[in-house]
Amino acid sequence: MNGQYASLLIALPLISAFFVPLLKGAGKKAVGYFLVVVTALQAVIATLVFQQVYDTGKPIIVMAGGWKPPVGINLYIGHFAALFVLIVAVVSFLVAVFSLRAVKVEPIDKYAMLLLLLMLGATGMIATGDIFNLFVFMEITSISAYALTAYNKTGEAAEASMKYIILGGIGSSFFLIGVALIYGSLGTLNMAHISELAWTMNPTVAEVGLALIVFGLAVEAEIFPLNAWAPDAYQAAPHPVTVMFSAFVVKAGLYAMARIVYLMKDLWNWSSILRLLVILATLTVIVGELAALRQRNVKRMVAYSSISQIGLMALAFALGTEAGVDAGVFHMVNHAIVKTLLFLGVGYVALTLGGTGIENFRGLGRRMPVTAFSISVGAVATVGVPLFNVFWSKVRIILATLDVGYTWAAVLVLGASVVEAVYYFRLLHTMWFGEGGERRDESLTMGLIMLLLALLVIAIGVYPDYVWNIAQKAGNDIFNVAQYVKNVPLMGVGA
Amino acid sequence: MMKRLLAIGLILVIGYWLANGLAGVPFGEDRMLVGQYYLDNVKQQTGAINAVTAVVVNYRGFDTLGEVTVLFIASTGVGALLWRRKKERTAEVEGSVVLTTGTKLLVPFVILFGSYIFIHGHLTPGGGFPGGATIATAFLLLYMAFTAYEIPHKGFEKTEGVAGMSYVLVGLIGLAIGGYFLFDWIWQTWKIGTVGELLSGGFIPVIYMLIGIKVGTELSGIIDNMIKEGVSE
Repeated sequence: MNGQYASLLIALPLISAFFVPLLKGAGKKAVGYFLVVVTALQAVIATLVFQQVYDTGKPIIVMAGGWKPPVGINLYIGHFAALFVLIVAVVSFLVAVFSLRAVKVEPIDKYAMLLLLLMLGATGMIATGDIFNLFVFMEITSISAYALTAYNKTGEAAEASMKYIILGGIGSSFFLIGVALIYGSLGTLNMAHISELAWTMNPTVAEVGLALIVFGLAVEAEIFPLNAWAPDAYQAAPHPVTVMFSAFVVKAGLYAMARIVYLMKDLWNWSSILRLLVILATLTVIVGELAALRQRNVKRMVAYSSISQIGLMALAFALGTEAGVDAGVFHMVNHAIVKTLLFLGVGYVALTLGGTGIENFRGLGRRMPVTAFSISVGAVATVGVPLFNVFWSKVRIILATLDVGYTWAAVLVLGASVVEAVYYFRLLHTMWFGEGGERRDESLTMGLIMLLLALLVIAIGVYPDYVWNIAQKAGNDIFNVAQYVKNVPLMGVGA
Repeated sequence: MMKRLLAIGLILVIGYWLANGLAGVPFGEDRMLVGQYYLDNVKQQTGAINAVTAVVVNYRGFDTLGEVTVLFIASTGVGALLWRRKKERTAEVEGSVVLTTGTKLLVPFVILFGSYIFIHGHLTPGGGFPGGATIATAFLLLYMAFTAYEIPHKGFEKTEGVAGMSYVLVGLIGLAIGGYFLFDWIWQTWKIGTVGELLSGGFIPVIYMLIGIKVGTELSGIIDNMIKEGVSE
């Protein structure tokens, strides 16, 4: 089957977002349901793409305008992109369902547009095969994220968004300078073409360009010194938006970083860049966990925990070995599921009981048993207890780290996991053994969604092999650059 | 003081580092790898004289679609953040007679020139974004000169949406006819027009018209949102 239909992954959310102003007259309800329908359609297309890629084992190359790369822009939907586009679409669908209940603040039509465009941006970042196009999609993602962060119009939200917008603005300007340097020295923007020519680059230019690009993406990917915006933004954003941030916006940034770093494999000082990333990633884990320990606000606590998990993925990608990349991708998948579950649960509690302070969670086990159960599964899984999915990916990451010889990094990360256990079990204790108020009714849809996710967490925990196989294929997509370059039908230009 | 010195020192170090990197990209040397291809083939492949617009709309049309989206997000975001149930203009001083009369005379010309820019995107420098921005200045003029002026909101929002949808639709027609998203079906399949005349350039003028309308309405909407204040009921 012709793979060009995969361009609908971009076209559908776009045309739907542009359609919302025309729909506005039909009322609030209509906008909400429209959002659900569009995200469901996106999930269907993503499933088709996923099936095709995994059945044939060949990536889908979408050539925009019919121009062959590097003259035109291509989307590269390989194993990794197919998997994550599916995750993005499914999480967006769950978020859309949750939004029906969670977002009552006006103007709802603008919220729907921004949500669709955030999904579009993340999809594009993951799928694109062109470095400038990556910048455009990154802008789409981050600008809609700025607006959504401030959507609640409280002072806190405005401040969080302000921090984010300034850091993000500086980050993307650096990214753009990096792209300009690389284009200036190679004369091409296509990722496969860049990778082919990388060895001809002047080493200083390559170093500066790559450093700028990594720096720019690190803001989106929440790597240590540049992630100060994240906890505030997670806390202040509307609850459904927080789910999206944690489940895929960060991962799109992280993936883009890993992709570009691995494209430049042939550089002479590649290993020193990796070493820097290992240090930053380890710091991200430690700082995130220690900050989470002191939080009295559960949403903020989970946000810090999410950041430290991202650090763990960054560590896996920075190892520079196949085992590391595979483990990183596996952890990305697991983390997406677990954090969707946790943020949905916490958001739902906040909606029902009013607020995310720890006092609202006291005795939750008796007040909202289903939600409490789901949050507990998520919390236990995040810590990395055996028979839950995160256990397997954490083990793989630690093993891969030890393999390369970074014993100190492995020890520090493991130590941080102990800290993580402390605050998650403290939360569990408050939820199940605290004095509680009266019983609350729980919504059937939300309960079902959370239970389904919890079931998925346990299912992957008990039978990790299926997902591990997928993750290995997806990891190979990033690690095996030679195969990547071969898959892109470059036309001979200039050479 | 200490802080300032440290900052200056840091900026100098970063500047030196960047300059070092830039020195590796000698100025004026031939780095036209993909660029040469564009220059050699632009007329025959896209039917446009203006190579920049051909690259921006046709070869790398995906980026432009993205940029249009970025602008759309900006205007939606401003709209969402400044949203109030009831908003009014709070300007108090009416412009002088010279200003108001001058504006009345000028506005149609500004709009005419803006349209000229985006209609001739494939022939002359310019295109949808400058054309749209020019049109928005006409509305800015109206806002500045008259205290009571307001753009027709409902119409503007809907036009903006329709223009964006049409851009994606043009791309989807390409997918249906040529098999590729954003495929230039007007030039590649139908070969309409002669290179160098107004009727040429494939779908570039069509898309630039849509972008011009979209950008014009969007920027006007941003101005409108920012210039009004919420009033308590």
